[in-house]
Amino acid sequence: MFGWTGTVLRVNLSDGTIKKEAINTKDASSYIGARGLATKIMMNEVDPKVDPLSPENKLIFMTGPLTGTFAPTSGRYVVVSKAPLTGTIGSSNSGGHFGPELKFAGYDGIIFEGKSEKPVYLWIHDDLVELRSAEHLWGKNVFETTDEILKETADDARVACIGPAGEKMVLFATVMNDKHRAAGRSGMGTVMGSKNLKAVAVKGSKSVEVARTDDFLAACRDARKKLKEHPVTGNGLPTYGTEILINVVNQVGALPTRNWRDGGVYEYAEDISGETLREKYLVRNKACFGCPIGCGRVTRVPEGRFKGFGEGPEYEPGWAYGASCGVRDLAAICKANFICNELGLDPITMGTTIACAMELYEKGIISREIAGMDLRFGNADAIVELTRLTGMREGFGERLAMGSYRMAESFGHPELSMSVKKQEMPAYDGRGAQGMGLEYATSNRGGCHVRGYMTSPEILGIPEKLDPLVTTDKAAWLKTFQDLTAVVDSAGICLFTTFAIGLPEISSMLRDAVGFDASNEEILKAGERIWNLERLFNIAAGFTSEDDTLPPRLLKEPMPSGPAKGKVVELEKMLPEYYSVRGWNEEGIPTEEKLAELSI
Amino acid sequence: MKVKFFGNIRDITRIKEIQIKGAANVGQLLRELCDEYGKAFRDKVFRGNEITGEVIILVNGRNVYFTGGIDTALNKDDEVSIFPIVAGG
Repeated sequence: MFGWTGTVLRVNLSDGTIKKEAINTKDASSYIGARGLATKIMMNEVDPKVDPLSPENKLIFMTGPLTGTFAPTSGRYVVVSKAPLTGTIGSSNSGGHFGPELKFAGYDGIIFEGKSEKPVYLWIHDDLVELRSAEHLWGKNVFETTDEILKETADDARVACIGPAGEKMVLFATVMNDKHRAAGRSGMGTVMGSKNLKAVAVKGSKSVEVARTDDFLAACRDARKKLKEHPVTGNGLPTYGTEILINVVNQVGALPTRNWRDGGVYEYAEDISGETLREKYLVRNKACFGCPIGCGRVTRVPEGRFKGFGEGPEYEPGWAYGASCGVRDLAAICKANFICNELGLDPITMGTTIACAMELYEKGIISREIAGMDLRFGNADAIVELTRLTGMREGFGERLAMGSYRMAESFGHPELSMSVKKQEMPAYDGRGAQGMGLEYATSNRGGCHVRGYMTSPEILGIPEKLDPLVTTDKAAWLKTFQDLTAVVDSAGICLFTTFAIGLPEISSMLRDAVGFDASNEEILKAGERIWNLERLFNIAAGFTSEDDTLPPRLLKEPMPSGPAKGKVVELEKMLPEYYSVRGWNEEGIPTEEKLAELSI
Repeated sequence: MKVKFFGNIRDITRIKEIQIKGAANVGQLLRELCDEYGKAFRDKVFRGNEITGEVIILVNGRNVYFTGGIDTALNKDDEVSIFPIVAGG
């Protein structure tokens, strides 16, 4: 096979058996790879009503046909499972070097089943695949675990692992690879912890074969040239990282402030911006495998009570701990983000859950006695301390470990959780960017920005400028973005490539790597197939159109100030149009005709 | 009016913001700023007489693309923001 190694590992953690299986070539072709193929395996093998933290749930690590090739940004792999935070299909992808290394060892993916009686890790060295005891690693953080496993295996192995948060069933625990890269959202690390699986370590000595080498290299060179020449991928992201968005999103009035209560203009945005991060704490930028962009931030807070060293924050954590919590101390934000990486926590859900608790505190619903500290907005020490307490599930962190929805619900106010399908929305207020509002309501993994990034046309003007304050055409644009994103995630490359290249370039690389002749339109149709399959999983899990909604604050409380003043998200206008362009019925269920068209 | 600069535009202007008097519209304002900050700034914002695709220009938070481009009228209390095109996620 080309693009693929042709082999998937199936590891039964209950009885310790390990099998090598041939990849299903028909499914690999229909669902591209990574996110799409792993979702297809979930649909084939797991009851969507399964308890996410039971042994019957499966956890799938999967690469795409471009992972580990010369394609730019080909460092991606995905972790797919039923998600404990949302109850939807969970699917989080990550960069770094782990995904390519898995392919170099000769495997496209790993399907974990069952639950180990005692903590274990999986060691893969080419043809050698074995489960090893991880009892001595249980309780150790991500950095300690990684270092210890490298000592036990090989210095240049690649490790994906969980920290204490995943072991302790914090509902938004991450799978961390290469220490600082995260399969971050909806609790994939929690599922890993529920299976007593501490880590996967891999070292490979093979390479990935492609079908039409000369054509493939030409397509990759073309894509790389475009990435280098584009002002966003060639300059903006390497220079400032994703944090550069803080000021621009704030200026358009869509930076959610103090648990979205105070609108979209944060008065201290400059203090937490990418420009300030570069000036004060940036050591250097860093790139994942095969990436010509290099948006990663290596950062150091040199002194003071928030002293630390690590990577990030990205834009989302910078906002979640910053504007969302009303904090202006960038050193504290860096520190809280470092702790998320260390303990294996999703910083978007962590920061926004703290923000939700802060609002409950200011309303007098959470007392100082319960919180154990002054929890007013703006308390920089609180974001650091509560992150640590949550990762270790201690004190008030025990309540926050459920995520904002369950925490706010336990205090009688679920409406103050800024979440969709129990997953917290990220850093763009849909009242100031209507298409993003629709994206949050319809994303297959709950509140999420990277399933159909409408910020790109609405705020950044890429590939075209769409007025963020109107609803016209947003449903159709969102459908295209969601389908294209499913292609990108499933191919095994980074979504950031799409600021500079599009479907034609990505399709060319896919065709020449795998050796098929599908048209660009057929490849986009595969993205639509993936989107619909995820939707079918969620419907079978019990989700309905009533879940395609937003917190009441976005639907009923007009934006209090800024350029979007007076706006709410006009979801009732956009959602029926979205169902229609998707070929779904009024209840949001794909029609028989649509499923036949997609061969599902 | 207040004009704010962001990202690598600041590498050219060397300041974060400036007060400008008298510019009646965005085109006039940009030409004044070109006189102040020179060729590097001009290359960033203008291609001929049109705004390049390399900058985002907002007046009171609204992209001028939606309000008349370089003909967008300016008042003394307006706030103008000039960004390089950036992205993230």
